[in-house]
Amino acid sequence: MKITYPHMGNQIFYKKLVEAFGHEAIEPPTPTQRTIDLGVKYSPEFACFPYKILMGTYIEGLENGADTIVTSGGSGPCRAGLYYEIHKKTLENLGYNPEIIVFDDFGRSPQTFIDNFKKIKGKTSWCKAFRIIHQTYILAQSADNIQKRMEILRAYEVEKGSFNKAFNEIMEDFDKNGTSISRIKECEKRGMEKLNNIKVEMPAKKDRIKVGIVGEIYVVMENSVNMNIAEVLNLLGCEVSRSLYISDWIDHSVTPKIFKKKSGQYLLDNCKQYLDIQIGGHECHNMGNIIDYKQQGYDGIVHLMPFACLPELVTQTLIPRISADYDIPILSLSLDEQTGIANNQTRIEAFVDLLKKNKGE
Amino acid sequence: MINAYLGVDVGSVSTNIIAMSPEGELLSNKYMRTNGQPLVCVKEGIKLLKEEIPNINILGVGTTGSGRQLAGILLGADVIKNEITAHATATIHYYPDVSTIFEIGGQDSKIIFIKNKCVVDFAMNTVCAAGTGSFLDHQAERLKVPIEEFGELSLTADEAARIAGRCTVFAESDMIAKQQFGFSKAEIIKGLCEALVRNYINNLGRGHELKPPFVFQGGVAANIGIVKAFEKEVGQPVIVPKHHGVMGAIGISLLAKKEIEKSGKPTNFRGFELTDKEFSPRTFMCDGCANNCEVIEVEYDGKISARWGDKCGKWTNALTSATSKTNTKNNKDKELVGV
Repeated sequence: MKITYPHMGNQIFYKKLVEAFGHEAIEPPTPTQRTIDLGVKYSPEFACFPYKILMGTYIEGLENGADTIVTSGGSGPCRAGLYYEIHKKTLENLGYNPEIIVFDDFGRSPQTFIDNFKKIKGKTSWCKAFRIIHQTYILAQSADNIQKRMEILRAYEVEKGSFNKAFNEIMEDFDKNGTSISRIKECEKRGMEKLNNIKVEMPAKKDRIKVGIVGEIYVVMENSVNMNIAEVLNLLGCEVSRSLYISDWIDHSVTPKIFKKKSGQYLLDNCKQYLDIQIGGHECHNMGNIIDYKQQGYDGIVHLMPFACLPELVTQTLIPRISADYDIPILSLSLDEQTGIANNQTRIEAFVDLLKKNKGE
Repeated sequence: MINAYLGVDVGSVSTNIIAMSPEGELLSNKYMRTNGQPLVCVKEGIKLLKEEIPNINILGVGTTGSGRQLAGILLGADVIKNEITAHATATIHYYPDVSTIFEIGGQDSKIIFIKNKCVVDFAMNTVCAAGTGSFLDHQAERLKVPIEEFGELSLTADEAARIAGRCTVFAESDMIAKQQFGFSKAEIIKGLCEALVRNYINNLGRGHELKPPFVFQGGVAANIGIVKAFEKEVGQPVIVPKHHGVMGAIGISLLAKKEIEKSGKPTNFRGFELTDKEFSPRTFMCDGCANNCEVIEVEYDGKISARWGDKCGKWTNALTSATSKTNTKNNKDKELVGV
């Protein structure tokens, strides 16, 4: 099969997974203005921004020759969980007839999940399939570790662009040499050394400003639709951590709840005091993460949401209370297809000024 | 010689230029319409300033407002900062115990919360023009009431017509309906002022406790009708600073002073001869990928001095790496500009 998939965050994991099962990966291009234009044109006006981006991404993937789309569903009333049906209808109307394989929550319908998995697995033995999954999971983790480290160090970069360049080289190394678990670990080690050797000007520990990014999963992970928020904050001298990386998402989805840390259950426990049912998106995780970041000593939170995203509107409404209860500044930004970032830039700069003032600069 | 710090606030509707003595006395105050030409406007203002105070000596320059980057490059600013920080700095300077700042300008409005002279939170209007000066301008035009008399007229009405303030489209159709019902102009205008304030508080104050003292600034603070509507809404007196229209410029001049005093370096100001130099920004579409970024390139006196607007950093970086070896300070500025 020629498989394409959404462009969400670091791409190496998806590509390796698809290829390991013997399929051709039609890598979706990084969303550009054209992706947005296509998405907006062929989507209902009221659909959320991630829906539109996915629409555009699928069309571009199919144009490049894909015959199958692999995507994830949702686990609740968030609209995104049903989006693939509308995507499918729209694509059919446009004359494409891709097979769409949707992975919903395993608990919802284990049989469907297994059937879907069999389609991808093909003739690969179950034993080998599990090995592949384990290995790509390790890859995702290693790549995420590199990204996490980079988004801290880049705040103190001396020569502009040096971290981005190194990061791309490290990802290429993973792509080329990450063929077994031990080799992946070696790549990670090499990568870390590379990052640590880049020249930085790091201030004293007490003066370092740490910002956590929370919000809707797609806009948190995908730089091309979130104004490259991590880099913007890095340039203003803030260390950045995102609440979700692909490996965390896998951890949260597959780990049983009794493992509180790994399954993300502790985040839901944190959030209980504000909202004790999950309403479909990552709202409970996000609120839990805000509290968690505060407890880890972070100085501020940037909350990202697609315009009119229901679960995140709930988060946004509760933010003033969390901010007051836990004494942590939170900036909520709503994202849509607008490309001008001047307005948000002003907010972000003012927010960083506020954080620096708090640090007593 | 008269020493002064220069504060320039380039907004969408107005451009304000002020000169402030090191002791904090306002020496000159220029409030001009931007008319879509920020650079011409800034040059013009600088020229006027020089004519007004011929023996002025500039110690430092700061720029703010949505046109801060371009103006900053034109002038050689020592500090380029967003307008939220600038406004708050000025207000805290004059009213150290302020808790809540209302700011309504031409194209946006803000609310800023202050605690112990520090900004603790802020909000900018999110999606629409319903709570801004442009909307009032437009409605004043429609009712044929000069904007300067708008506020006074609203005070003559005893009752206010109830106008929907959430969206300018709703507001306008409501106003027309009320006018056809026979409400007077004054009552409609009073209703409009109250609707704007209601919308502002709902939209920006959401979930926050509004604590006095309140300070109201920005161009719209000149409108007494809005001031009264604010006082009615919060049930407290609302202070309007004397220089409410140029608070952003005052704030940025204070920040420039702080920056210069901290660094101990001379100003980057290009000098008053800059008004005679060729300064030409141009934009081009990069066709490197499907993003088709609009890159802005600024030429000053025959040399490319800044570039931004590219998502990938190809053009910004090309310029930065060429200059980074010689001047790291400028490099830093460009990074701020480049994002």
